[in-house]
Formats: sequence, C-alpha cells, structure tokens
Amino acid sequence: MRTITSIWMVLVLLSMFAFLVGWFKITSSFFIALLLLTTFIKGQLVIDYFMDLREVSLKYRLIPTLWLMIVLSLIGVAYYFPLHP
Amino acid sequence: MKTLKKPYPPGDFGIWIIIYIELVTFGAFFLGYAYSRRLDVVLFNESQLLLDQRAGFINTLLLITSSWLVVRAVQTIKRMKEKEAIKEASFYLLGAMSLGSVFLVIKMVEFSGKYAQGLNLSTNTFFMFYFVLTIFHFLHVLLGVIILYNLYEKTKQGGYTQQEHTGLESGASYWHMVDLLWIVLFVLIYIIR
Repeated sequence: MRTITSIWMVLVLLSMFAFLVGWFKITSSFFIALLLLTTFIKGQLVIDYFMDLREVSLKYRLIPTLWLMIVLSLIGVAYYFPLHP
Repeated sequence: MKTLKKPYPPGDFGIWIIIYIELVTFGAFFLGYAYSRRLDVVLFNESQLLLDQRAGFINTLLLITSSWLVVRAVQTIKRMKEKEAIKEASFYLLGAMSLGSVFLVIKMVEFSGKYAQGLNLSTNTFFMFYFVLTIFHFLHVLLGVIILYNLYEKTKQGGYTQQEHTGLESGASYWHMVDLLWIVLFVLIYIIR
C-alpha cells in the first residue's frame, strides 16, 4: 500500500507542476516538452500501478503505453510546428 | 528472482477490449484538437484563457485520489481476511465514489458558467472541441460513478473475496481509464499553449 501512496503523491506533485505552468501562462518550447514528458510519466504510472499492468504479459501493457506515447508525440509535433503561428 | 508475468490483465477481458477502444477514440479526439489548433493558434490560445484552470486542477486531484482509493479497495479485498476487508474496502469505494461525484458537480458548474457567458458548441472550433471532449469524458465519469456505486454495494454485501474479485477489478480498471484520459485531457485543453 505504501508504494501506491507514493505513486499517488508523485501524481499530485506532477499535476501541481502542470497547473503552475498553466497558471503562469508559460509558453516556451522547453516547458511544452516538459509538460508532455510529465504527462507521459503520470499516464505510465497510472497504467503500471493503478491499472496494475506492470505484472502482466507485455503485450497488454504495451497497448496503453504505445497509445500514450503516440498521442503525446503527435501532440508535440502539432505544437512545435503550427501552420499559422 | 524474476517474477512470473500474469497472462491477462486484471478483471474481465471484455472490459479491456472496451478500454482499448475508448483510448483509441479519445486519442483521435485529442489529435483532432491538437491539429485543428495548428490552423489558428491565436484563437485557441485566446479561447483557452476563458477556461477555469483551478477547476481543471481540482478535478485532476479528485480523479487521481479517487483512483488511488479504488486501488486500495482492490488491494484490501485481495490481502485481508473477509470481515475486516469488507468494511475497509467499502469505505474506500464510498470515498472514491464521493470524489467522482464532486468531479461531476464541479464540471456541471463549469458548463453552466460557460453557457451563461454565451459560450457553446458553435462559438468557435476551440469550444467545439472543449465541449465535445469534456462532455464525452463527463459521461464516462458518470458511468464510472454508477459502476463504483454497484461495486460498493456488492462489496458491502460480501460479494468479493480474496479468491473471487474479477468484477471489482473490472470496474476498477474502467475507473483508472477515466483517470488516465483526464490526465491527458487536462494538460491538452487547460494548460498547454
């Protein structure tokens, strides 16, 4: 139970970081990358520890992990290369 | 020592088919939003300023904490002796359901505030995505709260044991998916600009 509580605390801290970036309207490319990275970490923690897929056959764990990776990477591409900035 | 991997994810396999389909569906919406934004960054950034980031953040905390309580409920049923487990797991599930309900209330207040400001689906592309995505997610949370209520009732009646708790794990997996989707949605719609 202690592990799960530590994971919950990390999720809360990373969410606070995201909120503060939004609150101060920080728009730099570095922070966009950092936001996407921390969102990936949060998602992966939910997949591994809340959904409990870390102890399951790799293919079932890979589906949500790849989903998260692909979606966040493509979002990153869309934000780094706007058509009409 | 290397631990042996379980062959299937927790819960009923059917729920995982639903979860994977939901992820793909929401993923398409997320990318639709991100790539529509490329066409008019200024409009999206200005419209985003009208959102209440504090409400989005509080809702993130509510869902994360609710998911954590659900994990604790499942672990309690799996690890403890029946009588103690029933009481403790029911308590966790009731807490998770309450937090999910508060999420719904905050979201309804947010929606009504937007409508009062004259913002709706047809205001612009940003708000079209905002309403479609958040209302679609809202409906998933609503279903999740109903599922949690049923899990709570069955747990209270001793319906889950150390040996048999597939239904509890299925409902829990669905609820964690709702949490996972919100984690991406919150950053995408409310924060990143």
